[in-house]
Amino acid sequence: MTTSPTIVPLIDISGLQYRYPGARADALADLDLQIGKGEFVAVVGANGSGKSTLARLAGGLDKPGAAQRALACGHDLLTEAGRLAARRDVGVLFQNPENQLVAQCVEDDVAFGLENLGWAAPEIRRRVDEMLARFLLEDLRLREPHLLSGGQKQRTALAGVLAIPRRALVLDEPTAMLDPAGRREVQVAVADLHAEGLAIVYVTQEMDEVVAADRVIALERGTEVYSGSPSGLFADTALVRRLRLGLPAAGELALALGERGRGPARLPLTMDELLAHLEGSA
Amino acid sequence: MRPAGDGEPRPASAPGGAGMGLSCLGVSFCYEEGGTQLPALRDVNFELPAGGSLALLGASGAGKTTLLQVLRGLDRPDSGAVLLDGVEPDGAAYAGLQREVGLVFQAAEMQLFAATAREDVAFGPRRLGWPEADVATAVDAALDLAGLPAGDFGERHPYSLSGGEQRRLALAGVLAMRPRLLLLDEPFVSLDPGTRRDLVAVLEHLKASEITLLLATHDVDLAWSLCDQRLLLTDGCVEAAGDWDFAGAGGSLLAANRLREPFLVELWRRLGRDPGSAPRTSDEAAKALA
Repeated sequence: MTTSPTIVPLIDISGLQYRYPGARADALADLDLQIGKGEFVAVVGANGSGKSTLARLAGGLDKPGAAQRALACGHDLLTEAGRLAARRDVGVLFQNPENQLVAQCVEDDVAFGLENLGWAAPEIRRRVDEMLARFLLEDLRLREPHLLSGGQKQRTALAGVLAIPRRALVLDEPTAMLDPAGRREVQVAVADLHAEGLAIVYVTQEMDEVVAADRVIALERGTEVYSGSPSGLFADTALVRRLRLGLPAAGELALALGERGRGPARLPLTMDELLAHLEGSA
Repeated sequence: MRPAGDGEPRPASAPGGAGMGLSCLGVSFCYEEGGTQLPALRDVNFELPAGGSLALLGASGAGKTTLLQVLRGLDRPDSGAVLLDGVEPDGAAYAGLQREVGLVFQAAEMQLFAATAREDVAFGPRRLGWPEADVATAVDAALDLAGLPAGDFGERHPYSLSGGEQRRLALAGVLAMRPRLLLLDEPFVSLDPGTRRDLVAVLEHLKASEITLLLATHDVDLAWSLCDQRLLLTDGCVEAAGDWDFAGAGGSLLAANRLREPFLVELWRRLGRDPGSAPRTSDEAAKALA
């Protein structure tokens, strides 16, 4: 399921270091990260392992402490000009949609970034219409943001981020505050964007969401300790424990079956895979 | 509306035990915005026996947080009443009982403020006017219970703790006041899976010591593993109360409210087994399947 290797990664970072003002330890230390064009990479790790810091730096929102190389879509994140350019190409969506909606109604919110970039009004209208259709927000275009459900808010924020044409999208726990239906809406939108070739960096604490990624990166105290397939990560149960992660629900049950001598040879990660094992061994 | 639970629930009115009984009788509550009344709770009725555990479920905006604030006494219902151990709000003992209701807010770590973990946890008991020796005992016990032993964590600055530790510190601040009814608002959001497991262990311990638990969450899997009963809110109304009822309409009610069935219940259904007797945990499931 991994994408074919690309010659120039879209995000190309090596030796990245960052420390928050006044903190005693680095939030990121000697971190390497390469994200290929069109790749869907999940980022996992315990609370405080550096996931959100990485998301902000990759999006050009904060200045790296140091790095041998820190390029996002070809822009040098070590320079102010590079970060500004990176912010144009890399969209960032955060956990709490409340903090990301600024306008009085949905369509104004989606238009906000384009207005700041000085797009002409007819172009803005066309682009906003396109985004509203794309994220199923047409019926809600005049709705005030505070009257939206959590999933609708997050889709509005996503439409605003992607109204500006992007080359990569960084999402920092975008479903954490949503109900399961809202979560599903965002997951489907992200899967569609990935299918269309947008590079996705997806920070999450939900192990079931990791399964959809091409590749998963695990962070521990600001450094990368795993990069590979989701199934490879989950198969290493000692590492999963140490990193304070978990398994998808299907894997959790398979492990419990294994303790009773009924475990599958290969760890199932979805309900369908688990059912196939249970029905096969019945 | 007395929900059907399994076993012999203690009567909601039994006073003085480890857990507190809760009765919510016809509670309605409106927010006011620009002269308009926005109803948030409409005639909410349910009963939670002492020592019971209840998952408060519903889509975003269904009224879960409002209900918790009313139950804690932070908001007064426009009509109806919240009875604690069977005592009415105008009863003499009510104020004392209200102090035994603890509420852990959503993202409670945002409210940490003291210079050390110990001082932060001591704030509540001190405000209750407890003698300093009792405060110290309660603080140590609460830190222990929340998995932050006072010896290791007591003198740490709250902001030097990880997000998960901060969440547990906020819980300790509520536990220090020795609540007999504990209300939690989305306690698992943004925690890593390991910290979630730790918090579940704390809640299981509280449950075993028969403290009454009421847990608002979107996480139906954790809700199902922890809570005997559920209360489902739709637009401020009770859509269902009591047993989860997966043999009946329980599953489709959850789906109709932007939720879903717990993983293990769906698995039981798809295996052709009785979803009404679905297991609560992976271990129970493995035992049944092996």
